Amino acid sequence: MRRVALRGIRAHLVRFILSILAVSLGVAFVAGTFSLRTMMTSTFFGIVDSSMAGDAYVRGTEPVAGYTTTGTTGETRNTVPTSLATQIAGVHGVAKAFAEISGPIVLVGKDGTAGTRSPSFGMALHPNDTTVTVVAGRAPSGPTEIGLESATLRASKLTLGDQTKVVVAGVIRTVRVTGEISKGAPMAGATIVFLDVPSATAAYAADGMVATIAVYANPGVTEADLVENLTPELVRDKAARAEALTGDAMRAEARTDIESQLGFVLAFMLVFAGISLFVGAFIISNTFSMLVRQRTREFALLRAVGASPTQVFASILIQATVVGLLGSAIGIGGGLGLVSLLRVGFAQVGMDLSGSTPLDAQTVVISLLLGTVVAVGAAAFPARRAALTAPIEAMREATAPERSLLARSIVGGILTATGAAGLVVAVLAPDDHGSAMVGVGAGLLMLGTLLLAPFLVRYTLGVLAAVFVATVRPLGRLARGNVVRNPRRTANTASALMIGMALVGAASVLAASATASTRAIVDDGWSSDFSIQSATGNVPIGALADTRTLASVNAVDVVTYGPAVTTGPGETASAENPLMVVGLPVGAFGRSVTIDTVTGALDTLAHGQIAVQKAIAADRGWHLGDEVTFPSRTGTIGARIGAIVDTRLFRSPIIVSDVLFATIIEPAQTTVEDLLITAAPGVTAAELRADLTEVASPYVVLSVLDTEDFAGQLASQVNQILVILYALLGLSIIIAILGIVNTLALSVIERTREIGLMRAVGLGRLQLAGIITIESVLTAVFGTVIGVVLGVAVAAVMPTVFDGVGLTTLAIPWAQLAEMLVLAVVVGILAALWPASRAARLPVLDAVASD
Amino acid sequence: MTTNSITKPHYMRSATPIPSSAIASARGLVKTYGKGDTAVQALAGIDVDFDRGELTAIMGPSGSGKSTLMHCMAGLDTVTSGSVMIDGEDVRRMNQRQLTKLRRMRLGFIFQAFNLVPTLTAAENITLPLDIARRPVDRAHFDAIVAAVRLETRLHHRPSELSGGQQQRVACARALVAKPAVIFADEPTGNLDSRSSAELLGFLRRSVDDLGQSVVMVTHDPRVATYAHRVLFLADGRLVEELINPTQASVLEVLGSLDATPTTDATDDSVALAPIGF
Repeated sequence: MRRVALRGIRAHLVRFILSILAVSLGVAFVAGTFSLRTMMTSTFFGIVDSSMAGDAYVRGTEPVAGYTTTGTTGETRNTVPTSLATQIAGVHGVAKAFAEISGPIVLVGKDGTAGTRSPSFGMALHPNDTTVTVVAGRAPSGPTEIGLESATLRASKLTLGDQTKVVVAGVIRTVRVTGEISKGAPMAGATIVFLDVPSATAAYAADGMVATIAVYANPGVTEADLVENLTPELVRDKAARAEALTGDAMRAEARTDIESQLGFVLAFMLVFAGISLFVGAFIISNTFSMLVRQRTREFALLRAVGASPTQVFASILIQATVVGLLGSAIGIGGGLGLVSLLRVGFAQVGMDLSGSTPLDAQTVVISLLLGTVVAVGAAAFPARRAALTAPIEAMREATAPERSLLARSIVGGILTATGAAGLVVAVLAPDDHGSAMVGVGAGLLMLGTLLLAPFLVRYTLGVLAAVFVATVRPLGRLARGNVVRNPRRTANTASALMIGMALVGAASVLAASATASTRAIVDDGWSSDFSIQSATGNVPIGALADTRTLASVNAVDVVTYGPAVTTGPGETASAENPLMVVGLPVGAFGRSVTIDTVTGALDTLAHGQIAVQKAIAADRGWHLGDEVTFPSRTGTIGARIGAIVDTRLFRSPIIVSDVLFATIIEPAQTTVEDLLITAAPGVTAAELRADLTEVASPYVVLSVLDTEDFAGQLASQVNQILVILYALLGLSIIIAILGIVNTLALSVIERTREIGLMRAVGLGRLQLAGIITIESVLTAVFGTVIGVVLGVAVAAVMPTVFDGVGLTTLAIPWAQLAEMLVLAVVVGILAALWPASRAARLPVLDAVASD
Repeated sequence: MTTNSITKPHYMRSATPIPSSAIASARGLVKTYGKGDTAVQALAGIDVDFDRGELTAIMGPSGSGKSTLMHCMAGLDTVTSGSVMIDGEDVRRMNQRQLTKLRRMRLGFIFQAFNLVPTLTAAENITLPLDIARRPVDRAHFDAIVAAVRLETRLHHRPSELSGGQQQRVACARALVAKPAVIFADEPTGNLDSRSSAELLGFLRRSVDDLGQSVVMVTHDPRVATYAHRVLFLADGRLVEELINPTQASVLEVLGSLDATPTTDATDDSVALAPIGF
């Protein structure tokens, strides 16, 4: 039997190619995803190993509210004094210890811009730090010199000795590049600028505090011994609030953190790999149905000469295994190619990834196994049908009875209804687990619709087909009949597009809504003439000072953000869930921003009281006049709630005056998000803009925006995210085309006699091609319409549910949805090309005489 | 006519002028399958005229070329040499487009099985040739035909809801609806029981006698052949005998005389299955 099976593949190689292609595509994405993961983790692990080479680390003991501005990983803890480094240098076994001083920086490249938006760090170059080496030139010395990491130097196009500018600690500084410095591993595109220790300390540790101190051991002292020696010293100095841990433990923490961050991205990519495999499985199953159908007589012969059903079944499974293995092997190669392309692409934009080969044994085994299991699983159903067909039955004109759709439709209907109910509940009671409801509801709705799809094909496709039935007689009616004839198959074929279009439909509605919402918020609440914002998210303090000196400016209101552990009446402090606090000058209300108060008054902010958002007040049970407390360096500070407000202009739940803000938020945790500028009397917008642009341009990363620009900028950011989704849509379209081609080819073969009959009674070749094209277009449009309806339905719920995060307005981008529909028609036509020409070329007599 | 006569076919002389009574004719028709050593001559130079307003049956043992003759006459198969005329037009000179038009406007077909498009109702199947040609349906004609084949109550059923006899009657109605010059029927009763066969053949004969339709029918069944005005006998790709107003006895007599070896044709054309061992 094995010989029969293998000969079968050789004889029908062309027919197997589609299946192999389908497996390859799915596997390529799985293999590519895993390889990318390997490559990225090895790159980031390389960074961890090369930049965290200490034998022990000293860090704070208590977690604090905060987020990292320097890209360091792990939870944020209290900072420790830099002086601790000298203090512990004398501990037994310590060779050297130095505070790790780093922070954000903007480096102006040769072309006068800050280049890509990759993370940029400035860090102190300790003279005796062995983890970095000066490759060329010399180490920077003094505030006017910098060293650049090798990849940064290349990306910036600067050369040693060049003069350039950096923005550090909020001010522009002219500096000279004195050295190229290597960290011993690719830095994944991060911009790294080295400063000498005094400059770095002045910029990033002006208060004498740092996050960590790296400790190196004398030869022969183990990491554990080192920590044991350090601990008593740290415990004694209670004020320092510091603890020691081994280098291995520190690196392990960093790795875990990186893995969990990458895990999210990879999970997202794996979903798409899963979709392609799912559709691939369907294509395989279709191909085997086609083969089984064509070879029914051959199987009948084998059965008649004594082959058992099991043997027939096994022979088909052997073929599936070969298809699976071959497809997986090609897929793994394709995945590698994909990742190599990505690496080249990343390198082009200045992101160096590790050179180590990303293919590990685990990836190969998983990919091979997955591809083969999917292929064998998908072939099992047609194989079973072939094996169980009685020999004599196979001889007759076989018309496979369509299995009932009832069970599938009932389950699908229940899931769809439950999903829809979930969405409705989410809309009606958006406060109670609204987002979870939307997630579960959308998932159920999708799954239910996929199950319900054959039912929909049978009962709704007629509506879609009505156009064709009415305009292209009688081809439209014939095509409709063919599409509806096997609803299960049509639905499965359309599923790839359905999923892809649902995702893109939802995303485009969300994008349009987000843009419209922001626009509405800005229009309502923003009354300043201009805003200055930074691409790094943090406006340098120097720019503020410069702006204030302009004669054309009436007022500059600084909007600052920072996290604070906020404790209401009867609550216990928890560093796990800090609240974002926004600080504004008291004068800004009514001048730069308009905020609706529910109760109380914003004047109270001038007297150290705070304003809270309506939503958080309801959530935490806070009332006007309640006192909440914040930790600060000088002890706990209490503040009364002077106003409950309802505004979308600020994302943070708590609004305080700039004075209170400076007391409760550490400078290291402060982000200057916005400068809101109002014009002096008699100054035109154009004049003010010109002045502001002149101030902002030296900082390279600043932009001057009016309300119009602001909305436009947001729209362009949203569109950048959409590009990624469109790339994924491209994938689902390729797979959809493959699936439709496959289904049409199968159906042409199955309908050979019917086609012959119609040709005999006078159907022209073009008419025949027309029927098949209409079938294809109907299938594609069906998948798209259902997908878009689903996507839009889910997305339409979001503004109600996510009202609290600023999504207030529902906007449906009709033009874009119409484009998707046009795309579906194009996909349908493309997919029909080959099967239609194949059918048209069938000789009439062959078709009539076909058995 | 009450007398049965056996005559030598007069059309075996090549290049005979085509009589005006002929709706379809062939001269020197040769069809060879394959090339070189494996070449098989299915038709070895046939001259034939099918008369207007007659039901002509073609008989012969398996492999005698009767189906090939019909396929060549209908433009369904290519011809190696010779000429084929349908209603005064040379089929061999036609390209694909013209052949399609010929089948659409001038010819009707009834096959042994699988005559109907399963997704269309009986009525839609009947009007299919007209729909394809985008010609209007002559309602009176349609109703007359439907009444003749007694399908009035089954018009809105799908083929899967019709009996075998009903399906073949739909096929007949479809062949007739476009008023073709000639109808080609390939074993039209091959899959039917004797009662349904009799009904169908009676109807075909009436369409010839009452409507003046011309029908060419391939069959292996002597009883079926008795419905024809004339029976042509093929053997080894040649026309060998002709019967006017055949009876079952006269047909059997000719068949018997054609070949000493008994005909295996009775098992019908799906003998291709035989080697499998049933």
